[in-house]
Amino acid sequence: MRYLSPAPLVALLLGASVALHSLAAQEAAPAAAASPGISYRNDILPVITRAGCNLGACHGAQTGKGELTLSLRGEDPVKDHAALVEKFVNLGAPEKSYLLRKAIEDVNHEGGKRFEKDSESYELLHRWIIEGARRDLPDEPTLVRLEVTPEEKVLFEPETSVQLAVTAHYSDGTTRDVRRWSIYEPTALNVEVSPDGLVESHRPGETTVNVRYLGLQVPARLAFVPDRPGFTWTDPPAHNFIDEALHAKWKTLRILPSDPCDDATYVRRVHLDLIGLIPTEEEARAFLEDKDPDKRAKLVDALLQRPEFADFWALKWADLLRVEEKVLDTRGVAAFHGWIRKSIAENKPLDRFAREVVSSLGSTYEVAASNYYRALRAPDQRAEAIAQIFLGVRLNCAKCHNHPSERWTMDDYYQFSAVFDGIDYEIKENKRFDSNDKNNFVGEQVVKFIDKRELKDPRTKKEPVPRLLGESEPLASDPKRLEKLGTWMTSPEHPLFARVQVNRIWFHLMGRGLVDPVDDFRATNPPVNPALLDALTADFVASGFDLRHAIRTICASRAYQLGSVPNDTNRDDEINFTRALPRRLSAEQLLDSAHLALGGLPSFEGHEQPMRAAQLPGVQAVYRPKKPTSGDRFVRLFGKPPRLTNSDTERTTDTSLAQVFELTSGSTLNGLLTEKGNLIDRLLEAKPSDEAIVERLYRTILTRAPSGEELSATTAYLASTGKRREALEDLAWSLLNAKEFLLRR
Amino acid sequence: MKSPACHGFDAMRLSRRQLITAGGMGALGLSLPKLFAGSVYPGGRPEARAKSVIFLFQWGGPSHVDMFDLKLDAPSEYRTPHKAIRTSNPDLLTNEHLPRVAKIMDRFTVIRSVHHGMKNHNSAGYYALSGHAPPTDDQRLRDSIDLRPAYGSVVDYFAPNPPGGLPTFVSYPHVVADGSRTPGQAASFLGKKHDPLFVPRDPNDPNFKLPELSLPDNLSLDRLHARRGLQELIDRQSRLLDHSAEARGLDDYYKSAIAMLNSERVRDAFDLASEPRKIRDAYGRTTYGQGCLLARRLVEHGVKVVTCYFSSGIGGQSITEGGWDTHGFNDTRMFPIVEQYHYPITETTLPTLIYDLENRGLLDETLVVWMGEFGRTPKINKNASRDHWPNCYSVLLAGGGVKRGYIHGASDETGSNPIEKPVRLEDLSATIYYLLGIDPTSEYHDSQGRPLMISSGEPILDVVA
Repeated sequence: MRYLSPAPLVALLLGASVALHSLAAQEAAPAAAASPGISYRNDILPVITRAGCNLGACHGAQTGKGELTLSLRGEDPVKDHAALVEKFVNLGAPEKSYLLRKAIEDVNHEGGKRFEKDSESYELLHRWIIEGARRDLPDEPTLVRLEVTPEEKVLFEPETSVQLAVTAHYSDGTTRDVRRWSIYEPTALNVEVSPDGLVESHRPGETTVNVRYLGLQVPARLAFVPDRPGFTWTDPPAHNFIDEALHAKWKTLRILPSDPCDDATYVRRVHLDLIGLIPTEEEARAFLEDKDPDKRAKLVDALLQRPEFADFWALKWADLLRVEEKVLDTRGVAAFHGWIRKSIAENKPLDRFAREVVSSLGSTYEVAASNYYRALRAPDQRAEAIAQIFLGVRLNCAKCHNHPSERWTMDDYYQFSAVFDGIDYEIKENKRFDSNDKNNFVGEQVVKFIDKRELKDPRTKKEPVPRLLGESEPLASDPKRLEKLGTWMTSPEHPLFARVQVNRIWFHLMGRGLVDPVDDFRATNPPVNPALLDALTADFVASGFDLRHAIRTICASRAYQLGSVPNDTNRDDEINFTRALPRRLSAEQLLDSAHLALGGLPSFEGHEQPMRAAQLPGVQAVYRPKKPTSGDRFVRLFGKPPRLTNSDTERTTDTSLAQVFELTSGSTLNGLLTEKGNLIDRLLEAKPSDEAIVERLYRTILTRAPSGEELSATTAYLASTGKRREALEDLAWSLLNAKEFLLRR
Repeated sequence: MKSPACHGFDAMRLSRRQLITAGGMGALGLSLPKLFAGSVYPGGRPEARAKSVIFLFQWGGPSHVDMFDLKLDAPSEYRTPHKAIRTSNPDLLTNEHLPRVAKIMDRFTVIRSVHHGMKNHNSAGYYALSGHAPPTDDQRLRDSIDLRPAYGSVVDYFAPNPPGGLPTFVSYPHVVADGSRTPGQAASFLGKKHDPLFVPRDPNDPNFKLPELSLPDNLSLDRLHARRGLQELIDRQSRLLDHSAEARGLDDYYKSAIAMLNSERVRDAFDLASEPRKIRDAYGRTTYGQGCLLARRLVEHGVKVVTCYFSSGIGGQSITEGGWDTHGFNDTRMFPIVEQYHYPITETTLPTLIYDLENRGLLDETLVVWMGEFGRTPKINKNASRDHWPNCYSVLLAGGGVKRGYIHGASDETGSNPIEKPVRLEDLSATIYYLLGIDPTSEYHDSQGRPLMISSGEPILDVVA
């Protein structure tokens, strides 16, 4: 086995912040030999864990299996030790212990045979029982750190495997090789890992192998690079630091980017990304005819000032901040959505925006941002939502158990929740329309902070001490603590806030986060390009958390402007941004663009005036309508979220047969196509030739001219039927259902 | 509202498959065939006994103690006011209003020991429709991507019908709701791809047809084909289909949709008008009756899961509409209502469905599930009616490889609690998957990427023939 990778490559994958570890793992000293005796905590728990006994399907289930219940993956060694010693260990006759007899299936065991009698596992358990089955030894060192080597590695064909070394570090400075007692979980399926940590790849690609030993977990990031004979790095120009970081990695991975997209693709792409609409024929023409070499940047600047930009980006935040009518009522929704939209329109720095969201108190009709806490009625709900949206931390598992492989514990969960204990509501009136829904509120409320203590830690039945996530010191119980939270959370020094926000902006523009999903930041889900995320974060902080600046920077990169046609080297790459990956338009982009092209605006129940779907303040369209309009049905069908979770993943862009039926035999497009006075009628007024009207339809709907083949086929179709308008409807339908229209590319 | 996060707690209940990988048993060089196969079933799947499921969801909660678990020796405040009659299962009585139902009880397995703790319709309904406990017992449990998919969506995920023909999962004629839409009716985190073909139309309407399968009046099939031809032409120019999986996936749906719009067989499956009048009458000229007839047509044409909802709302206060939720509210009374509305519909439709399936040789391969979200209070309330009772109730299964004329489990002397072989809804879900040949420990991933088992119960092997 060779450790080939030169340091610069490692630093490239890792980012500057992670140090390299030495390779000096000790060779396989049997675990027990390193200490004077055998303890449950340090020696036996790994054996039991490795044998799978404490997994959720076995004795780690909430109610255990058979007569034995263990904590899930051994999170509670004290309890587990007691449970084993009570019934399953026979100190007088060790080999008669049920623990041993069950494990080797000497007696009937539903879980089958876990190991052989002549195995090291058996030997260890047996000796442990002979020694008295002790939980801890006097002055026993504790496990403090797990080290995995290599933590980062790029392997080049013909090298397709790597042996991981796993070293446990103890409080007394000793170490043990625990490779054989660790558990390996690869995140991508291009590799297989042997039980003692040999990683072998079946096909090129990147993977993270999460290595777990007792409560600790360390990810090892590996890239398997295919042999590409004759590969030459073409050294494409970097537009800015984004390209520099991406190119460095592509070069290492021997991937060339796709060619940049043409102007017609670009103008459509950037309109859709920034304002949620396709460009009109005139807008596209003006851009295509502009000779200014800076016209792409100029277009971005212009779009950033459009009111539709504020609508479209307010929609993204409204999805996350639970702007929905059942709890906020329509007046609250209007107020909160209006505030979000105004914040975007006036380019409020995102740190200030976040601070105002998490610290606003007062009447939900007057202090718009206080609606956030109106929607989140309990301390733990607030903690989960704020951690997930602003810090990219999914805390919810820690509500019920210490996550076996993650950083956040139940202490973190309840103490962070306690920060929000004390928010209270003065309900001035409640004319709820659903008398059975205790979370339905219609009427003004005043959100207050009264510092009462209600939340209890279910384990201790006591009130947890408020503590900010990841901090060691408790937070003083004072009425200003929400402001302290806001300041702490949005500080430029906070390790997560700026990263999470800029990663989310990247996701909206590039279709995938550098950390993906964007609200799941953890050591075991590392960024695909750490150096780039570091640089974007630094740039975002330096800009004063400026949304428009971040968008401008990303749109200016060569990476943003790449085309979607793959080459031989990037065909299989879907994570490194070496080409644009076509993705379905969102519900709002699709409905609004179809209306923009054909004319008119959609209608929605509860709104007297028709409006673009991106302007909808709330989500009545999704769950309220008694008589849904075709617009209501359309946005629901295409994935407008009901805003009931705090996750970016609630909005879906997946496709379904029902969506295609809606486009094919449904009423929305059919209505637009047959509507009197629509685009087709307007074009017909000028009595154009078939060629001319076909060209106008193409330019309006697809932002391009028809090809020669298209022109002859479509004009032939128009000529073949006596019903010209119907034939034009058919052509317009086909353009609206072309993948070019339905997908952003 | 409590966070729904922890419903995923059994995410931690790893499957045997994972146990192998994670536990790394391979290291120890052992031979554990049962575990190593990744499944307790040879080939990874239990033998499929049923090809299809007809899930007849009795929304509102029918009374077990008045229909299939009568307690004639119970004190009068518990005892059913109906007269009991014998059925074709000698150990089973039903009530005087169900003589035809009585005749077919020898085809059924009745599970009398189903129990759970959800007293609210939406939470209990979600539990019954998905086989998973909801995060809270909430009257307005909201549908959310955090919650589990419907049975049919899971079947479509693991064993889909080929595209362009009949869908895997069809549901109708209502969206079940109690104030808010009841979760468990669609694919949730499995993705819209696995949603049912939902038909919000009344099969008893003389003009019943599928809007999806019917083009707008102004559009002929010829024009649709012309449109598709032009669309294909345009798609060739952009070459998106060559290099975008997203584009290909989308195009596959166009192929399916157009194939379905074209398909005689698909149209035929939904064409109730082609049924002889005698058959239509026998099912009963009601929404539910014709819905059950449609269910038979659909499974005959290859749909794997048909969910027919008895009603959209919980009802219980009307003799012309609604579900089984007969509390006696607003000065109504349970027994006259069920006698005039719910029993007659059941009496007409259920036996007809069973006979019809049997006559066509479909019963053996079609699992019929008849159940509500809970039973009703064994003790009659002050309105001479019954309230919600999840602690113990009865579920009916027929066909699809289950025993005939069998009673599984038992309740106590008043029908209040199971006293023998208690069955959880999780076990029922495992049983349904098992009968369909799907390993109940199979996994899918939720929207947070957590691996979850499709069922956390054990198949009730006692009910399998």
